[in-house]
Amino acid sequence: MEKEKIIENLKTIFVKVLEHEEFELNDDLSAGDVSGWDSLSHMLIIGEVEDVFSIKFKFRELNKMKNLGDMITLIGKKINS
Amino acid sequence: MVFTSFNFLIFFPLVAIVYYLTPKKYRWLSLLIASYFFYINIKPVFALLTTGISLSTYIFTRLIDNTENETKKRNYMVVNIILILLPLFFFKYFNGINSGIFTLLESFNLRWPLPEIKLILPIGISYYTFMAIGYTIDVYNEEIEAEKNFGIVALFISFFPLILSGPIERANNMLAQFRESKLPNYKMVSSGLKLMLWGYFMKLVVADRVGIYVDAIFENYEFHNGTSLMIATLLYTFQVYADLGGYSLIAIGVSKILGLNVRENFRRPFFATSMSEFWRRWHMSLITWLTDYLYTPITFAVRKYKIWGIVIALMITFIISGIWHGATLSFVFWGVLQGVYLSVEALTKNNKLAFEKKYNLSRKYWYVFINIILTFILFSASELFGRGTDMSVALTIFYKIFTTSGDIFIGTSSTVIYMFVGLLLLFLKDFTDEYYPDKFLLFENKYKFIRILSYSTIIVIIFLIGVLDGGQFIYFQF
Repeated sequence: MEKEKIIENLKTIFVKVLEHEEFELNDDLSAGDVSGWDSLSHMLIIGEVEDVFSIKFKFRELNKMKNLGDMITLIGKKINS
Repeated sequence: MVFTSFNFLIFFPLVAIVYYLTPKKYRWLSLLIASYFFYINIKPVFALLTTGISLSTYIFTRLIDNTENETKKRNYMVVNIILILLPLFFFKYFNGINSGIFTLLESFNLRWPLPEIKLILPIGISYYTFMAIGYTIDVYNEEIEAEKNFGIVALFISFFPLILSGPIERANNMLAQFRESKLPNYKMVSSGLKLMLWGYFMKLVVADRVGIYVDAIFENYEFHNGTSLMIATLLYTFQVYADLGGYSLIAIGVSKILGLNVRENFRRPFFATSMSEFWRRWHMSLITWLTDYLYTPITFAVRKYKIWGIVIALMITFIISGIWHGATLSFVFWGVLQGVYLSVEALTKNNKLAFEKKYNLSRKYWYVFINIILTFILFSASELFGRGTDMSVALTIFYKIFTTSGDIFIGTSSTVIYMFVGLLLLFLKDFTDEYYPDKFLLFENKYKFIRILSYSTIIVIIFLIGVLDGGQFIYFQF
């Protein structure tokens, strides 16, 4: 799956969990930049990502994810392996 | 020897001078010696615990780092966490378990009275246990490499400004600072002194003065009406803030003077507009610790339950936090209350955000004000159960607040006046810091004259109305 497709899917997930569309998805985006993306919604997003892309994260991988770019790279790696 | 004791005022400058004069290579050692001296002066045997926890943590973190085998890594982590939790459980719940069994025996008339052994909780044990656990998990999660110098690990566990009540620090912030042992510049020392001064003000003038009034009511709650009990309940929240918040500022200030940056613990909590925001401003070092090492792993484990997984994690985290405060029914109830508050907010969060946006409410003063008051009342109500009294006492007070009323208890008028002077100053400082961070500066004013006048005024107030008989800090008991 190419990066554009991943971002497109991520956008749907974010809108579903956060219930608004006021964000622009890019590599540097992190939780602080998006209204409602906090420790409550974070794991909801993770759960949706796992369902939509049919992948499973390891807990340690989550700790190392610092921004959206990291998340996209990791998703890409997981679906291609 | 606590921060408010006269001995500390001699001990600390001496430590700072020795630290500055020690060659860079051995500065950590001078801090380690000072820290053990500090702790041994509270009770010598307690130092055995910190040594044991340091040793165990040092050995197991090195073992984790030295193996590639994932199962072994995991086992080392688990074994160390269990080992260092044992003393905490033993000391914290020993008396509770004893009296529980005694009550059971008594109810069957089987109690055979012999002289009882009462254990005292080694002061600070919760704080350094948490720090050691955090460090172990960080090494396991590959967030930080295991420290090779045992002395640095021992210093991290026993660092005297933090050992009694936090802030609960993290290895990734402290270890490197201890290793480098950089001396502070003038700005750091001056800001450290200012933090200490304000910390002493919060503790001695606000917390202890409010404490006199609040205790007078709570300790005789049978004789007071609901109005007075309600006032005491609201004031108690300020007392805890000034007590632990003041302590934290002194700890942070002391560390700064030694050239070490320690995380903040409170950020003007009473201006929070929701409980979730409140918990990002109140006892922050504990709550981020719980978030990282308890809440997040739990939410990860139960993420397939979606939002209900979050609710489960919130409830478990805060119930554990309650039990950490003490193994009593009222503390558990305190935790349940926090869990319920936050769960309700989690479940309604998106609707609330949308609603606020639709009517542009977050910019309206009255709306913000109502939310601040509501948050404060919700938290104060929960603190009635977080005071360490019996559940029945807390419930009686709660019931009386809603069923009786009358004149507010005054007692000695000087107590009330002093209390309000302190509270007013604290409120004004927090209010301007919150809404006008660059205006009405006193300690940071650009004119030296105003700065000196402010320091002197606060010092005079501390000596005039501070409670200077060396009272204890509330959070030492946890």
